[in-house]
Amino acid sequence: MWKVVKSVLAAFFGVQNERQRSEDFQHGNPGAFIAVGLVLAAVMVGLIALVAILASR
Amino acid sequence: MRRKLALMTGAGSLCGVTPALANGWNMPVGVTDVSRDIHSLHMTIFWICVVIGVVVFGVMFYSLLRFRRSRHTDSANFHENTTVEILWTTVPLLILVGMALPATATLRQMYDTSEADLDVMITGQQWRWRYEYLGEDVGFTSSLSTPRAQITGEEERQEHYLLEVDEPLVLPVGRKVRFLMTADDVIHSWWVPELAVKQDTIPGFVNENWVRINEPGIYRGQCAELCGKDHAFMPIVVHAMESDEFDTWLADRKEAAAQEALGVDREWALDELMERGEQVYNSVCASCHQVDGSGSEPAFPALAGNEQLLSDVEFHIDVVLNGVPGTPMAAYRNNMNPVELASVITYERNAWGNETGDAVQPSEIQSRLE
Ligand code: HEC
Ligand SMILES: [Cu+2]
Repeated sequence: MWKVVKSVLAAFFGVQNERQRSEDFQHGNPGAFIAVGLVLAAVMVGLIALVAILASR
Repeated sequence: MRRKLALMTGAGSLCGVTPALANGWNMPVGVTDVSRDIHSLHMTIFWICVVIGVVVFGVMFYSLLRFRRSRHTDSANFHENTTVEILWTTVPLLILVGMALPATATLRQMYDTSEADLDVMITGQQWRWRYEYLGEDVGFTSSLSTPRAQITGEEERQEHYLLEVDEPLVLPVGRKVRFLMTADDVIHSWWVPELAVKQDTIPGFVNENWVRINEPGIYRGQCAELCGKDHAFMPIVVHAMESDEFDTWLADRKEAAAQEALGVDREWALDELMERGEQVYNSVCASCHQVDGSGSEPAFPALAGNEQLLSDVEFHIDVVLNGVPGTPMAAYRNNMNPVELASVITYERNAWGNETGDAVQPSEIQSRLE
């Protein structure tokens, strides 16, 4: 699970190393990446909204 | 390298603070706190871009020369380098966030139109601006005052060619003035660089903006949205005066408006109406119908020698009050007072060889407006 989160975060950032990438592609389960991706995207939107709300108070 | 950087930042701060650079090549520093903030943002971001440009192109040209083919250099051959990739992702991210923070702070300030001391309604019209001091019963139209002969080249152009008006917008220094901005016909844009205001005025919408001017002076601008034939002939002039001077000016204007309102009830002589009518006509109507009433067929009908018009005063009054929907001829009933309306109609019926002798009375117009 932690590995999936790490890979998704790397994808958000836009940089991943080759070793991790091939490992994900050999052993990973696409559904898990998609699910974690959606959750983390929601978290990111929430964080940005929070920062905007705090900053505009 | 360090010396180069020091030189560069030195030059940077020099240009950032000297208004000398506001010489037509750069945006002006302006005379409001917001305009100063915008200018310093602009300079900061400009120098960030310069540094990035120098570094990127420096590395590129260094590599091109140092590792050129004639020196038989072997190219490195590798597929990925996570460290470098993280670096070139993080560095731009930090630069962007570093620019976004001050920019957002300035934007928030610009959008905060609350707690204004004075409200001015600005209306774009083809091709002039109308200003109304809300709650003060003072309003007027501000039109280009550059003589026609300068435009056609018969006279020499003066210093403020196409940047001068008959009646400038007068504003107080040191007070927060809120602008409510709209248009009657097409989209215009009210732009005064020294005030850092460039705001579209859109028919059916009211946009807001504000200024607090720090220094008295005359500030000039233009319509910045292509709006038809005379787009280049609807300049903006703002006259910023000390607060007490402004109060006197406003009181005078209120007094004059009240006087004119009183004048509605009395009988006006033809000469009086003609004199007032000529002012109004040249300021408001002449951009389309021409100073000599000859119009500009087929777009703008001639009023001089216009048989239909001269034989039918009812039609004449109706057109000026209510306009002709779907054409550039606007309804002037809400833009002018009864004296102005009556006198401009009278003027059109008696100028340029039109000799109906009709003196349309302000009281008659007044009764139609009700
Ligand atoms: C933006 C250009 C514009 C301005 C400014 C303008 N007009 Fe007009 N005016 C027109 C056009 C276009 C028509 C023709 C409308 C139509 O198609 O019937 C017209 C028609 C008229 C007519 C009727 C003429 C006819 O033969 O049908 C009168 C009278 C008139 N204008 C008076 C005025 C007065 C008075 C003013 C100033 C207060 C004024 N106009 C300002 C564009 C303008
Ligand atoms: Cu315009």
